[in-house]
Formats: sequence, structure tokens, C-alpha cells
Amino acid sequence: MTTSQPEATPTPNSAVGHDPAFIEVERFSFWYGAAQALFDISLEFPERRITAFIGPSGCGKSTLLRNLNRMNDLIDGVRHEGDIRLDGTSLYDPAVEVISLRKRVGMVFQKYNPFPKSIYENIVFPLRVAGRGSRSELDETVERSLRGAALWDEVKDKLHESAYSLSGGQQQRLCIARAIANRPQILLMDEPCAALDPVATLKIEELMMELRKEYTIVIVTHNMQQAGRCSDHTAFFYLGRLIEYAPTLQLFESPAKEQTEAYISGRFS
Amino acid sequence: MKQRRSDNPKSTGATRSGKGNVVPERFLVSKGTLRFDRFMTQAIQVGGLVVVLAVFGIFAFILSVIWPLFGGAEAAEGDTMFELEASEGAILGLDDWGELPFVTDGGRELVFHPVDGREPFLREAPLPDGAEVSSLRHDPGAQRIVAGFEDGRAGFFEVRYTMEFEEGRDRRVEVELGGEEWFEVAGGPVHAAAYADGGSNKLLAAVHDGGESGARSGLAVVGFHQQRGLLGGGRIEAMPKEELGHLVGGPIAEILIPATADMIFVATDQCELVFLAQDRGEWTVRQRMRMFDNPETRLKTLGFALGDNSIVAGGSGGEVRVFSLFPPEPGEPRTLGLTKEFPGLSDAPVLFAASRRNKTVFIASENELLIGYTTTETVRWRGSVEPGLAALALNGRGSSAAFLDTAGRMRFFEINDPHPEAGMRAFFSPIWYEGFSGPRFSWQSGGATDDFESKLSITPLIVGSLKGTAYAMLFAMPIAILAAIFTAHVLHPSWKRVIKPTMEIMASLPSVVLGFLAAIWLAPLVEYRMPGVFLMMVGIPIVVVVIGYAWSWLPVHLRSRLPTGLELVLLLPVVLGVGWLCWRLGPVVEQWLFVVEMPDGEKVADFTVWWPQWTGLPFSQRNSFVVGFMMGFAVIPIIFTITEDALSNVPPSLLAASRALGATRWQVISTVVLPVASAGVFSAVMIGLGRAVGETMIVVMATGNTAIMDPSNNLIFGSPFGLGSGEFPLAAQWNPFDGMRTLAANIAVELPEAAQGSTHYRTLFLGAFVLFVMTFALNTVAEVLRQRLREKFKLV
Repeated sequence: MTTSQPEATPTPNSAVGHDPAFIEVERFSFWYGAAQALFDISLEFPERRITAFIGPSGCGKSTLLRNLNRMNDLIDGVRHEGDIRLDGTSLYDPAVEVISLRKRVGMVFQKYNPFPKSIYENIVFPLRVAGRGSRSELDETVERSLRGAALWDEVKDKLHESAYSLSGGQQQRLCIARAIANRPQILLMDEPCAALDPVATLKIEELMMELRKEYTIVIVTHNMQQAGRCSDHTAFFYLGRLIEYAPTLQLFESPAKEQTEAYISGRFS
Repeated sequence: MKQRRSDNPKSTGATRSGKGNVVPERFLVSKGTLRFDRFMTQAIQVGGLVVVLAVFGIFAFILSVIWPLFGGAEAAEGDTMFELEASEGAILGLDDWGELPFVTDGGRELVFHPVDGREPFLREAPLPDGAEVSSLRHDPGAQRIVAGFEDGRAGFFEVRYTMEFEEGRDRRVEVELGGEEWFEVAGGPVHAAAYADGGSNKLLAAVHDGGESGARSGLAVVGFHQQRGLLGGGRIEAMPKEELGHLVGGPIAEILIPATADMIFVATDQCELVFLAQDRGEWTVRQRMRMFDNPETRLKTLGFALGDNSIVAGGSGGEVRVFSLFPPEPGEPRTLGLTKEFPGLSDAPVLFAASRRNKTVFIASENELLIGYTTTETVRWRGSVEPGLAALALNGRGSSAAFLDTAGRMRFFEINDPHPEAGMRAFFSPIWYEGFSGPRFSWQSGGATDDFESKLSITPLIVGSLKGTAYAMLFAMPIAILAAIFTAHVLHPSWKRVIKPTMEIMASLPSVVLGFLAAIWLAPLVEYRMPGVFLMMVGIPIVVVVIGYAWSWLPVHLRSRLPTGLELVLLLPVVLGVGWLCWRLGPVVEQWLFVVEMPDGEKVADFTVWWPQWTGLPFSQRNSFVVGFMMGFAVIPIIFTITEDALSNVPPSLLAASRALGATRWQVISTVVLPVASAGVFSAVMIGLGRAVGETMIVVMATGNTAIMDPSNNLIFGSPFGLGSGEFPLAAQWNPFDGMRTLAANIAVELPEAAQGSTHYRTLFLGAFVLFVMTFALNTVAEVLRQRLREKFKLV
């Protein structure tokens, strides 16, 4: 198992927002029923960097991503081995409240999925479910999140209109704004641009570069250029195994593995 | 690509024309397909149109059935006319069929004028020889003429009409005079006489001058007793003559004796109505009342409406008032009270005639005729008559009226009023029925006697429908919706595959089975265990909430041991145990809270007695509570399955989004699932509501079918709040321990007995129409609201 470590080793108990590596995955295997989806994966995610997962469809990159906030829990007959640790605490520790874990690890989905509510209500949703929300805090959060998602200028005059009145790209940025409204420590993005046109994709990518200053981002993408353009580190998965994990430039320019080389040059799909 | 292109012409074999516009055959649609497509399109259009037409057809049919209910009476003068020389004060009579009217001028001779063209003929009245007639009264209901004489005798003879059917000829009305009885009642001339035959009791009363207060102040009464055996009437025994003039104390204008022959109503010159009744064989004055408010008013005419329970009085100012017999308080003897008043005539009413079929009365001044229906206090017809009315008589059905005009001619009115007892007032307003102590909504369409006053208010039925529906929904809605939420979003999907079909099978349970269970098993079971049922209703939800709260305080590592959705396994035995405990504790609570002191001083712990005594509302075994519960069972599966579908159809992406944002299970449901599925949940509730409103068998079997809105009708103890009848608050109609009758149940129960085209039949259709309109309005409102919800939570 080749795992290059581009940054320093983790220090588990450092303050929020300053950990060298929030999440470490250790010898993690995962099964959907009898089918094994992930094989003995180990890697760490550096802080305030964008890590991209690439690999052909069905290689397990989304599965791993969805395990980072335990979204796979509700699927029937899943089980795992190994461990994923957030700040040194296992996600699977019985004392871990899944709800609060998901508040720490935000997620943006492949298909934009705003709620059938107003733009405003979409963004304050995480605060509302957390039982927080003085009027001023909500207003402040909405503006901060929308600015953070580079959407403020476009929607500031129609905050109370339906989220569905926005274009696809705007809706995806709204979902990002919603995901960062509660200031998670980590942001997971599962092919965030798959349903968007190139212009919207560009905007999201620019946004990611902005968000990188504050958040640790893990992104799954099928778009090799996108991985190359935006990510700091790239992990290549194939058939449920982590083939190579290296700084993006290194992985794309001089891949250590033949499979990686073959994939990024488009020789197999 | 290249290969394919070159393949095309070869495989189809279509020829290319010079212009190249021939479409290859494989691109053509076959004629059969097109024809079938056209046929199906037509068939679907026709089918849809037929359905729409059918609905409108049903609507039109119901409308056509109920339409006549709201029409008034029609009256038109017939062609027949007899030129007579009748004088003022002549008496006119008419047979049941309206074919053989007679006129008598002084009572000695009755002249019959057949309307079928036969020659008029004369019959000698069987009066006693040599006596001079001083008063004459025709009682058409009893086919009797009561006469008084100058020599103090009074009595009656009968005008017996019979219908003859002879072979080869049309039916013919024949008449025979006879059955005369004459009695010595007074010393002087008899000014007015009345007679009634109440079976074993008979009563003859005569007004004479022998009283203490001057002329016409004497009232002589003779009672008769007849032993009645299996073989008919026995010997008639006359009681001693009694003088009651002193009880009245003044000149008497008019007397009336009802058919029961145990009371006398005396109207004095001063317009006082004196009600004489027999109390242990002794005549006493039960009541005295002024008939008219204006002291100047003089009584002009007085008579009974059908049934002899209501007196119609006409005053000189044109007033027409109806006085009815009713007990002022439950259990007290009946007295008269002013119950209705018709809009006055422009002139003093002088003629009165009552229908022998229903409560229609004809009141006429000299130039004006008013046909009114006493029950509903409505004027069915009014019109003027030229040159003036001198006498009036009705046939049995009230469809034909004969009258003498002031020119001495006999003329006829044909009256067409098929539904006099119907109308908006009758259906939707409280009405003061005979024998009731106040205006009331009541449904009682038929009775044992011919003079029964039908009570056709459909208001209690509407209230009953709403009440049954409300209780059913109160029970079914929370259970069904919560169960659907639990099944759709909490329970493991493998359970859902079992639960959903099971619930759908429940929906197909025949409601007659549920009704049977409710009536035979559930109602008697819970009747004496109400406190236990209450405890369960309160205890189980509280225990569930408490356990849920306690669960949320357990450490995460303990909670996470139990797979999501299986918390039920822990909860279920507790709930069952608490239910059992509540059921057992019921009698204990009853001993403690629901103790009643019985009239004999004994203390009894019994909720069924306590409830009526404490609230003043009745408790019946077949009550809304039982119906709500059982009808709930009919409605729950419907609401459940539709709600479950709606909840399951919430896009998983939204669920994932809310979960990823840290929403708890309940937050996902309450903030995302329910709003998004609200339109579907709403439809489910509305479909359930529609089912409950129209549900028939369960309510027929388990409600007791009491069409009563005013609970004072079936009070045992009287109201502790000091409320009289008709004063009960609206809330009393929602008494959960009282029965009801719904529109649907009413139709099911009574339609088989209703004669086609009768008022009763049409009124049942009116009930159907109201039900139709109610559900139509409900569905329309529901659909509008549903569309709004859909619009609000529209998905991409």
C-alpha cells in the first residue's frame, strides 16, 4: 500500500481549525453486504488543503467520502473494519453522536439539493436544527455563508424567494453556503460539478480555492483537469484500493504507479 | 457509423425516387398501429365524457327529485259551479273524495250536489220532531253534524259517505244520514254544541243561557261511557249531567272538544281561552289564557288542526294564531301555549277548515283565502276571492275545496300542494312541534297514527354526520399519520414490506363487520369500563413520551447498541403493560372519582350514571366514542397507506442533505419530510374524511341512530346547570357519550320504507344532496389547499 505523506504527522489534540490533519483513515475496509467496496485504506488529510479523490466509477472513492461523515450508516447490511479518526477520536466510538459528527463534517452532493424553502431558510437550516438562532445571528450567518459561497451579490435582494428560482450553478453554490453555514471543520464534496455547465463549474472551482483558506476540503471528481487545477493532493483509487496518494503535481507529472499513469493519460476507463 | 449508413437502403428495400422524398418503409408506422391508436384515443375520450356526464346526470336526477320540495301550493278555481239560493250562515260539507258536496240552511234538509253531473238531491236530516234548530256545527273529520235546539236538547247525526263500486260503472259516492243521538242537556236554547267520541269516553257539551253570568254563560256537559269488548262496542251509559258554566265565568263564544273527549276548550267573549280538563273525574280549570294581545280584538273563528293538538284562532284584527298543547316542563300536564302565528289577513278571518291528511289549515276572511301549514308556520298559498266567501269545506286529501260565495253560488278550488311539510324552514330551522316545549331540530319522518306530525329537520343529521366524522378523524388522524411516519422513515424497510400490505388488507375489511363488532362487542365492553379507557388514552401517550425523554438522556454508547428503528421492541411491552394496568385501574379510579348519590341515598361508583348527573348530558351505550373508535379503524388504513406513499416519495437527496447538516431523525421528518410531503398527507386526510363522512354501515349499527340535537330529550335527571330545553350550549351536541344519526345512515335506514315521490322520499334525497354538496365542497377546498401546498413545496 503506497501512501506518501506530503505534510507533517498529525497532532491529535490541537485546537479546532489548526490541526495539521483532522482525519486519518487507518486500514479501513468496507462492505456493502457481501461485496467488499474498500480494501485496507490508510491515508491522512492535511489541513486547509484540497484533497481530490480520482478513479474510475465504482472504485470506492464516494464510499470512502461518505464514510467520513458516516452517511453510509443507514444503508442496509454495511460493515467496516479498521478505523477513521477525527481529531484522534474514532468516528465509530460508541460515545460519538453521529449528529454532532455531521455538524463537524459538512457535505456537498453531486446533484444540488436545496430544500423547497427560501434561500434564507436553506442557509439557516443547520442553525435551526441545532436549536440556535437569534435573528441577528441568523442574518449574519446568511450573509457570511453566501459571501463565502460567492453568491451574496447575486441573491442578496431575493433571500426570501424559493431556492428553486436559482439556476443550477447558483443552487449548488447555495448548497455549499448551507454546508458552511455552521462552520464545519471539514467539507466533503461529492462530484460537486457533475451536474453543472462549464461556466458554473469554473465558479465552483474558484469558490473552492477561496474556501481552501478556511476549510479542509475533500472532493471526489471524475474530472481530471479539475483535480489537477484545484487540488493540493490527489488520491487515486482503483477497484476499492488506494493506488497512489501524492501531491497533485507529483501525481500528475510523475506518477509512481503504472495504473495511475494509465488512468490519468486516459488509457483505460 | 459509416457501416450503418450503407446498410439502410439494403435492409429496407425501399426504393429511392428521383426526388428522394420516399420514406423508407421501416420508418413508416403500420396502419394497424395508427388505427388502434386512433381507436383508443376515441375510446378514452368517450369514456371520460361518459363519466363526467354520469356525475352530472346523478346530480341532475337528485336535483329533479328534491326540486318539488321547495315549491309552494297551487290553487286554481275549477269549472264546476252551482247556482244556489243559500243564505248567510249556511253549512257546507264535502266528502273525502270531493264529489258530493252538500249545503244545509238550518239543518232540516241537506241538499247534495253531485259534481259528476247527476241531479241534485235532497235528504231529510234525522232531527227530532218539532224541535227548532238553534245551533249547527259540521265536524268533517268525524262525518258528523252536531245540532242544538231551542228546547234545550242537543245531539248529532252522521253524514255517512260511502264509495260504491258497481260493475260496468265508475265508482260513485253515495250518502246516508243516520246514527242520530239526542240528549236533554239544557233548560233553554242551545247556542253552541260540541261532541267528541273518544272510544270508551264520549262527551257532549252545550252552551246555554242558564249560567250565572248572563246569556250564553252556561255550559252543560254530559259524559258517556261505553264498555268495549272484543266483539265491539257495548252498551252506552250516560253519566250525570254537569254544569260547568261557573268554571268559565262569562259569556261563551265557542267550544271545542278534542277527539280524546277528555278536555273542553272554551273561548269566551272576552277572548279568553279556558282549558277544562278532568282531574280524577272532577272537571277543573287547568289553564286560562288570553288569545290576543290587543284587548279590542274579538274572536272570529276557532278550530282544531289535524290531530286536535293545535287550536287555530282567528281574531277580528286579522290575526291568525296557533295554540298547541305541550308540557311546559317535562313530566307536567300539558297546557296550551302560543306556538305559531301566521302573517295576518287584511280582514277578520271568519272561515276555517283543516285538512284531514296533514297540518294544512285554510283560513279565510270574506275576500281572502290563506292556506297555511301549521307545523312550519308557512303560508302555502294566499289569494283573493270575488265576490266573497260565505262557507268553506275541504275534501279528505285537502286537494279540493268547496266554497259558497256571497252571491250564493257553490264553487270549487283545486289545490295542488304535494309537499306542504317541506321547505327551507322545515329542513334547517328549529320548529316548535306539537307536544314539544320549545322549538327544536328534530327528525322523525313517520309515526304510528294518521295525524302524526312529521319532523323533517335534516340539521340533526348534518350535525350527526359531522360529529361522527370528527370523532373518527380525531382518533384516526394522529394514529394513521404517526404510524405512516414511523413506517416510512424510522422503521427498518424490511418491516415496511410486511406492515403496508397488512394495513391495505385492513382497509378492505367490510364495514358491516366493523359495525357489528362495535355494536355487539366493543360498545358493551367499554360501557362500564370508561374510566379504564380514559386512563389508557391518557396513560399510554404519557408513558411513551416519558420513555422517549428518558431514552434521550441515556449515554450514547448505550443507545447506539440498539439498531435504528428497533426502539419499538423496547417500547412495546411497556405500552402493553401500561394499557393492561390502566384497564385494571379503571374501576379503582371510578370508585374514587365517579361516585354518585342515587335518589335513595345509596352511593354508587358508576361513570354511566355520573356523566349524566354531572354534565346533564345523556350517556348511551352506542355512543360517538365507540363510533369514533370503530370508524377510525375503517379510516386509519386509508390515511396510512396514502400518507406512507407520500412520505416515502420525498426525494432521498433532501433526506441526505438534511442528515448531512446534522439534523436528527425527528428534525429530518419535521423540517423536511413533512413539509415536502404535506400535499400528499393532506390528500390522505381528505380521502379519509370523505370515507368517514360517507361511511354508513358502522354508524347504522353502532350509533343508536338517534337523530337528536337537543340532549334534553333523553335526560334522566334534568340539567344541573338549570338549563331548560332548547337552551343547551352548542357544545352539548358534541357529547361523546351520546349517539347520533348521520345523513348516510338515515338514507340507508329509511329509504326502503319511503314511498316513491312522497315528501319523505324526496327529503331523503335532499339528505343525499346535502351529503353530495358537503363532500363536493370539502373536496374542492381540499384540492385548492393541496395545490397551494404542492406549489409551495414544488420539487425541481
